[in-house]
Amino acid sequence: MVRNRKQKGRLLTILLSLSVLAGCGATGTEPGNLEEKRGQEETITRDDVIVTMPVTSEPESGFDPAFGWGAGEHVHEPLIQSTLTVTTKDLTIESDLATDMQVSEDGRIWTVKIRDDVKFTDGEPLTAEDVAFTYNLCKEKSSVNDFTMLKEAVAADETTVEFHLEEPFAIWPYTMAIVGIVPEHAYDENYGQNPIGSGRYIMKQWDKGQQVIFEANPEYYGEEPKIKKVTVLFMEEEAAFAAALAGQVDVAHTAASYGGQEPDGYHLMQVQTVDNRGFNLPCIEPVEQAGVTYGNAFTSDVEVRRAINIGIDRDKLIENVLNGYGTKAYSVCDKMPWYNGACEVEYDREKATRILDEAGWKENTDGIREKDGVKAEMPLLFSSGDSVRQAIAEEVSNQLGELGIVVTTEGVGWDTAYTRAQSEPLVWGWGAHTPMEVYNIYHTAEKNGLGLAEYSPYANETVDQYMEAALQTENLETSYELWKKAQWDGTTGITQEGDIPWIWLCNVDHLYFVRDDLEVAEQKIHPHGHGWSIVNNVDAWKWKE
Amino acid sequence: MRTGFFGNRRRRMIFCLCIMILFLLGICVWGLCLEEAAKVTDFSRKNLSPCPAYLFGTDWMGRDMLVRTVRGLSLSIFIGILSAVISAGIALFFGTISAVMGHWVDGLVNGIIDLVMGIPHILLLLLISVALGKGVFGVVTGVALTHWPSLARLIRAEVIQLKESPYIQIAGKLGKGKGYVIRKHMIPHLLPQFIVGLVLIFPHAILHEASITFLGFGLSSEQPAVGIILSESMRYLVTGEWWLAVFPGLFLVLVVVLFYVSGENLRRLLSPGTVHE
Repeated sequence: MVRNRKQKGRLLTILLSLSVLAGCGATGTEPGNLEEKRGQEETITRDDVIVTMPVTSEPESGFDPAFGWGAGEHVHEPLIQSTLTVTTKDLTIESDLATDMQVSEDGRIWTVKIRDDVKFTDGEPLTAEDVAFTYNLCKEKSSVNDFTMLKEAVAADETTVEFHLEEPFAIWPYTMAIVGIVPEHAYDENYGQNPIGSGRYIMKQWDKGQQVIFEANPEYYGEEPKIKKVTVLFMEEEAAFAAALAGQVDVAHTAASYGGQEPDGYHLMQVQTVDNRGFNLPCIEPVEQAGVTYGNAFTSDVEVRRAINIGIDRDKLIENVLNGYGTKAYSVCDKMPWYNGACEVEYDREKATRILDEAGWKENTDGIREKDGVKAEMPLLFSSGDSVRQAIAEEVSNQLGELGIVVTTEGVGWDTAYTRAQSEPLVWGWGAHTPMEVYNIYHTAEKNGLGLAEYSPYANETVDQYMEAALQTENLETSYELWKKAQWDGTTGITQEGDIPWIWLCNVDHLYFVRDDLEVAEQKIHPHGHGWSIVNNVDAWKWKE
Repeated sequence: MRTGFFGNRRRRMIFCLCIMILFLLGICVWGLCLEEAAKVTDFSRKNLSPCPAYLFGTDWMGRDMLVRTVRGLSLSIFIGILSAVISAGIALFFGTISAVMGHWVDGLVNGIIDLVMGIPHILLLLLISVALGKGVFGVVTGVALTHWPSLARLIRAEVIQLKESPYIQIAGKLGKGKGYVIRKHMIPHLLPQFIVGLVLIFPHAILHEASITFLGFGLSSEQPAVGIILSESMRYLVTGEWWLAVFPGLFLVLVVVLFYVSGENLRRLLSPGTVHE
């Protein structure tokens, strides 16, 4: 009888723990002094905001640019620190600390003059030494952003800094827009926990796993921030939604599935993005290299890739998966100054069918296409737990099924996804404020030793050459033209008429519930990552009187 | 005095047991037929609350939750049975050699039992599953390798007790061979314990499979496993889509309880002596 009772007890424990675990998902963060704040709201106009962000936005290694703050996988303005340049609303370059920029004729030396009136918040002046120190530090330490093109940064005098590059790199100003300048005298390994900068805000308090509080920098050299205090809360979408329902936050990030259900006193803000979703199609016949398969027999046929590209109804996909909160994507850099309009295609199912028929992919008795014994089937991987990517994969699978292509979806972890993507299509999310992304995706890499692009097997010499030339030009304007030519130059490229190694589907709008009397300043097109981009210009937000 | 067919407690128990087994078998077979149907997504019918056409409603990709639930449960039951059988096999092996060989083997087996029992089930399970690359293989191995110790201990104790019991000693003295003694005297005594132990591992195995899948360390997310269904549903509870969690959760509990009750009934049937406890 004893055994019996023990077993019952254990069963109960498991049941209980399951239900407790279930509960965890929905618990939110309770910021401390909200009641107080709401009291103030009635009497005077507020000058603070509370913003929610996904849990993954919390910088693991602190607010240190050398460890990915601002200049990481998801780029944004570093707020606490100043940058040499900034990107404008239309993603061109303007200066922040920099007053003048010169590039040498061979493109290898950038000489940047900086302002002489800028002080760090500890009272010390910001000099060219600090700038040089920051960049050399990033080159040495940064593992999340690429600084390999930089040889060294040298301070020529108090206000002049020289960047010596390994290779000409015309889009260097885009790198300068994301690297926050740190003070050499106050930098140590704990900098990320207690950052000192010269930017618009000072980090006052960081409760790890919960919130970060920023206060306006009274010594800021630029326009005085209108919002004096910014509280950022880290929480999951469902918790952010619950917090908005309870009226606890001013801006809550949210997803398409909540889009239709605005809480009282809030409106839905839709921000256009280049946060795109698409999938890769390996362009070569399968080969084995060091235990990894590169290439895919079915997708190595360019006609197949073309048929897939025009055979997907992007409007329907956006309607089904994103409830309409998105825009059609045709490249990794839609709406950017370096985007080539030739990437755009019309959905045409009949044409897609015709292309497949003409290429010899004939339907067999089961309605599945086949050519020389190769079946028209492919897996489509997505990262487990990402409901949007999963839904995209399912929708693509349904749409391609109608073309006679069998697509099996499968959830994978990022530990294996990169390797598997070399031979199987994977749903990716990209989008950045720099043309380097085009390079990273389409340019051949040294890594695998096969002379293929890094993330999905593809190689085109002409495309490579345009991109290399783009990096070597003297000014950005001409480089934009070359980036465009890399996409399509009239005869070859990565578009429908070209090799089409990646299929781009949609740009996911970033959605926020914003309190009705808060005016959020106009946003630049957001890059990939639903986090810090929203507060890029928080200093210019204001409350309605 | 009770009379009639169901007045007999033994008959009543057998009847209940049959119904339960039929139910569980039904779910298994039904689930087997739904392999394809459970993966069908249809965005034209997404987020429907329970209605006559879709009794359990549909989710955000328009998947029929009834179909997914049944398929998920059958998957769970199969994984449960597979891992329980392996687990019981390990238990039988270790329990017997420990009792029969004694000395250092006994010490070693006891050591392993204590080691495995000393680590929380779910933690060890998680480690093994992740180390083996998750998926069905990881989960089955994980569950199988963590659920045997208590049964092994039980079997060891039984065998030691049997070895020393007078009738077996006498059988030996009378010149009966080892094989005869094992077949005629030991197995009939051990079998009920073993079968009941096996059946009682099922509910644990099923719940543990659901737990680690829920936590994201089990089956991958395109599978219609109950753990996946439940963890997905968490995201939609706040917008009021209660049916995504309630029905699959209830049915998971129902299946687990049914397994448990059948195990208990079986135990009473196989060792009637316990009636007097």
